[in-house]
Amino acid sequence: MATTQSPSPPNSNDDKPQADSAEVVHEANQVQQDVGAEAAKHSVPASVFVNSEPMREDQVSNAVKFLSHPKVRGSPVIYRRSFLERKGLTKEEIDEAFRRVPDPTPSSQPASLNQDGQEKSSSNVQTQAPIQTPQPVAVAPAGIASSVTVARRQFHWNHAVSAVGLLAASGCGTALLIKKVIIPKLKLWVRKVVLEEENDYAKKIDAKPSLVEEAAAAAKAAAAAASDVAKASQEMLNSKNEERRRFEEFMNLMDVQMQEMKSMSNSIRKLEGQANSSGRAFSDHDDHRVSSSSTKQSYANGKVDVNVQPGRSSTPPASAEPPHPKSYMEIMEMIQRGEKPSNIREVNDMPPNPNQQLSNPRIAPRTKPWEAQNGSRHQVLQSQTSAEGLNQNGRDNGLNYLLDDESSTPWWQRKNVRITEIENEDEVKATGPFGVRTNEQPPPLVQRTWVPPQPPPVAMLEAGEAIWRPKSAPKETATQEQSADDQSAAHPSEVTDELQRITKMSESAGAVEMNGGFSTGSSAVKQEQENSYGEN
Amino acid sequence: MPVFKTPFNGYSVRFSPFYESRLAVATAQNFGILGNGRVHVIDLAPTGPVINELIAFDTADGVYDVAWSESHDSVLVAAIADGSIKVYDTALPPQSNPVRSLKEHAREVHGLDYNPTRRDSFLSASWDDSVKLWTLDRPVSLRTFREHAYCVYSVAWNPKHADVFASASGDCTVRIWDVREPGSTMVIPGHEHEILSCDWNKYDECLIATASVDKSIKIWDVRNYRVPVSVLNGHGYAVKKVKFSPHRRNLLVSCSYDMTVCLWDFMVEDALVGRHDHHTEFAVGVDLSVLVDGLMASTGWDELVYVWQQGMDPRAS
Repeated sequence: MATTQSPSPPNSNDDKPQADSAEVVHEANQVQQDVGAEAAKHSVPASVFVNSEPMREDQVSNAVKFLSHPKVRGSPVIYRRSFLERKGLTKEEIDEAFRRVPDPTPSSQPASLNQDGQEKSSSNVQTQAPIQTPQPVAVAPAGIASSVTVARRQFHWNHAVSAVGLLAASGCGTALLIKKVIIPKLKLWVRKVVLEEENDYAKKIDAKPSLVEEAAAAAKAAAAAASDVAKASQEMLNSKNEERRRFEEFMNLMDVQMQEMKSMSNSIRKLEGQANSSGRAFSDHDDHRVSSSSTKQSYANGKVDVNVQPGRSSTPPASAEPPHPKSYMEIMEMIQRGEKPSNIREVNDMPPNPNQQLSNPRIAPRTKPWEAQNGSRHQVLQSQTSAEGLNQNGRDNGLNYLLDDESSTPWWQRKNVRITEIENEDEVKATGPFGVRTNEQPPPLVQRTWVPPQPPPVAMLEAGEAIWRPKSAPKETATQEQSADDQSAAHPSEVTDELQRITKMSESAGAVEMNGGFSTGSSAVKQEQENSYGEN
Repeated sequence: MPVFKTPFNGYSVRFSPFYESRLAVATAQNFGILGNGRVHVIDLAPTGPVINELIAFDTADGVYDVAWSESHDSVLVAAIADGSIKVYDTALPPQSNPVRSLKEHAREVHGLDYNPTRRDSFLSASWDDSVKLWTLDRPVSLRTFREHAYCVYSVAWNPKHADVFASASGDCTVRIWDVREPGSTMVIPGHEHEILSCDWNKYDECLIATASVDKSIKIWDVRNYRVPVSVLNGHGYAVKKVKFSPHRRNLLVSCSYDMTVCLWDFMVEDALVGRHDHHTEFAVGVDLSVLVDGLMASTGWDELVYVWQQGMDPRAS
């Protein structure tokens, strides 16, 4: 199917298809080699996020076959690429396959028409006698030939064209054979059959009398059987009629009862209607929704019963569609009918001032837990200091809460729900069940309490850190210094305290990574910690 | 454990990288099919299991995702179903918000991710098959990455390499990109069905998790992406979101249309280490706090936001 049409591109002449294809093969070979060299050069970058596998030739040839298929040629290029990607081809392989397949015309129709014309013309060239009937026969073997010639070779144009020619010739030959050989045989056979029939007929006349007698006897027996059958069926009919009568009587009785019940229910409803206000009728819909939501609530405890409201979605993905909530289905149906749900309102969400300046950040960015891996000791220090730094007032925008002595940690810090207070840092450390990080430091970060930082000290601390650890990213230090500059003016007194603290910490072993997770304690507390750290 | 009720159906929840107790919630009316949206900024009260709303921003169309800025503590960006991205600043008075509306995508913006290492840029994933790179100070996108053949559902920056990110798409592939390169650097045909979410391992920058409609989560090593490192089965329906823990190397959390939130340890044979079925509708959003180890939040179409500590029952009070 595919390969017979593709190797004969529109611009190659019919006179010498083989010569042209040979040239194209040669050129394409050279092109392929060049591309291969280029691809090899490209797959060298140092990043691990690049696919550095060599191109797989079998994948590329499969892709070429796929791309040569006429149906594929009619599809947008992006879907072809997507399909090949899903089959696991790399970008280079896909690009190579696209290069190998001659660029198709935008619409496949002219190409296919061209190719059909070429086929016909080639078959005419090949056959000597123009025959009408072999044409469709030739096309069919050509189709078979194409599937047969889907060989492992890359450039099979020669083979395909010659195969087409051969098969066309064979098709014509068989047609000729049929006409010349088989038809006379048919005639002979027909004559034979006719002669045999005549003979049989003569024989039959002799055997007639005995046959007639036998037939008569058989007929009598059949008549007797038929009469028996008729009697039996009559009896059955009678019984059925009786049953029907009884059934109808029963149905009548049931109808009577139904009517009675209907009348009773009507009367009940009337009574209800009198008892309640008339607004109930309008709230049916809400009640329905409320009841559906309450049934959903009842499923909440442990039972993952996905049959909340079995629904049918409009476009299910390939796997089983999860049951959508009933009101979801209602809304979908409303929209498909063209209605708009009534709860939508007009909202103007455009920015009032598109050039509005963003507010200055109050907190310097905090390094991520995975970034802080180099220097596990610093993690420990941070934990210790933060744990000690209790009972502080956080002064952040929006976080207006006070921590008093009793509830020393926010509830979300506590691993164990029973603990209402955290008495002891040691106790907390001991109950830490998890080995948090890949490094081997025992105290888990989780147990530490964190109190929201005051911006300036944090900024200064980070600046201090930047000073003592010059290998941290220059961008980070830049932002930190900037934010430090912004806020340093506001809190001069605390700055001096922090400077003192920083100098003290520099005396202890190693640089300190004090991330923005700090509270400013009383300086006395801090000094105690530093002393303890110095001892460790 | 506190619960926050939103008026609209929840779509996404994110912890703030600056404030331990702060979260942003993206919600959309009428399940996000058609209707308004709202972005909630909520705070956990320290004293008791209560959640207070700090501020809420209404939008004309549903909000599918929200992301906090890594450079400004009060700024967040929201992905809107009308193709725009709104930037909000909670430190400014409510009437000054939104600060920006970035409208370039032709279809719904479904995913956002802010760069956690360089902190200056963010990505948007859209149903118009493209991913765009933005910064807060520019009104137009810096780059557009258009290679996927179908909706891009999710995008995630690599936690170590500031230029590398991954995108998950309905064309059943995950693409790895480098912003310095014109096109994608790697294509991982991870699943036979749509891939709804992807996330990088924070401690091994070559591992990436993908969550798909085929109910499985696969962990891939980009150095050998033909075979997954691990396949996590256990969800009953499509997995909507997957997130690696910022504190533990092997832990990841996922939420699914089977209304559960599951915790996994992908290095262990029996990978499912926790399961919460507190939602009564599709669980569509889940997040782990970067600041507090073990603190997690989830939201679903049942209009509830739960915040709980790992190991506890989200519905416990």
